[in-house]
Amino acid sequence: MNAAEDQAAVEKVLAGDRSAFEGLVRRWQGPLVNLAYRFCRDRGRAEEMAQEAFLKAYRSLDRWRRESTFSTWLFALATNLYCSELRRIPVQTFALDHLAEPTDPHALDGRLEEESRDRAVRRAVYTLPPKYREVLLLFYFHEMDVASTARSLGLRQGTVKARLSRGRELLRSKLNRLVAQHVRKEVP
Amino acid sequence: MKDDDLHRILSQERQVIPSRGFVIAVMDSVRREAAAPPPIPFPWKRAWPGIGVAGLMLGALVIATITLLIQGIPNQPLWPPLFLALAPIFEVWKAVGATWIVLALVLSFASVKLSTRFVCND
Repeated sequence: MNAAEDQAAVEKVLAGDRSAFEGLVRRWQGPLVNLAYRFCRDRGRAEEMAQEAFLKAYRSLDRWRRESTFSTWLFALATNLYCSELRRIPVQTFALDHLAEPTDPHALDGRLEEESRDRAVRRAVYTLPPKYREVLLLFYFHEMDVASTARSLGLRQGTVKARLSRGRELLRSKLNRLVAQHVRKEVP
Repeated sequence: MKDDDLHRILSQERQVIPSRGFVIAVMDSVRREAAAPPPIPFPWKRAWPGIGVAGLMLGALVIATITLLIQGIPNQPLWPPLFLALAPIFEVWKAVGATWIVLALVLSFASVKLSTRFVCND
């Protein structure tokens, strides 16, 4: 289903053919659930959030101005909903002290097992302030496309770039602090 | 840690496949939504007279308060009939310490709005 087919389906729904909405749900369920999952790291909650996003889209279909594609509009709507939802009931974030202990502390400085380090980095994203966390999550969800990230969040591209840069900086400093803590533990 | 490492780690995310019943659940909620009666609109037509009267009262109170602040207790009221009509209200207003209540409400409202704004901009 391409953008034209999305639009045709929307026209049908607006004309009263409710079943046409099912095609849109089938087409976009994967991306919307995955986006929600990136925000909350909980599969069940991700489906609930995505369901709410589809319902909200259904309610406001008549407010979709055809200036952007249906998918852009849908992602912006879902992102807005997910951000609000997570500010209402935040994901359990992890203090750095609670980040996974590496199985081999000697390997921390660049030699840490790859999997353990990757997990620590992903968890550290959730300790960032929301405005940096949201931009980072969206940026990587949209395969590092700044324009799509900006559209989804309703921000200017310059703002997205600045927040990305600051977010990465914060992330690096958190991870470096973690490494330093472990090194201090090792060297009496 | 270099940017390339961050890009690689954060780009590689586990893909979640929606459960089988997801589409059905969404369509069920859409059907329920469509079947529900439309929300009752706010009765603006009936509310306008009340809002108008409340606005006038508020305006009169503001004028009266400003006049009182500037002139103290007026010897010659600005609008005698208006003050005459509002005199009992002022009495009650003074008796219950309404100025402080209003001030507290305004401050509470402002602080809630301000904190909400901070949270939303975070």
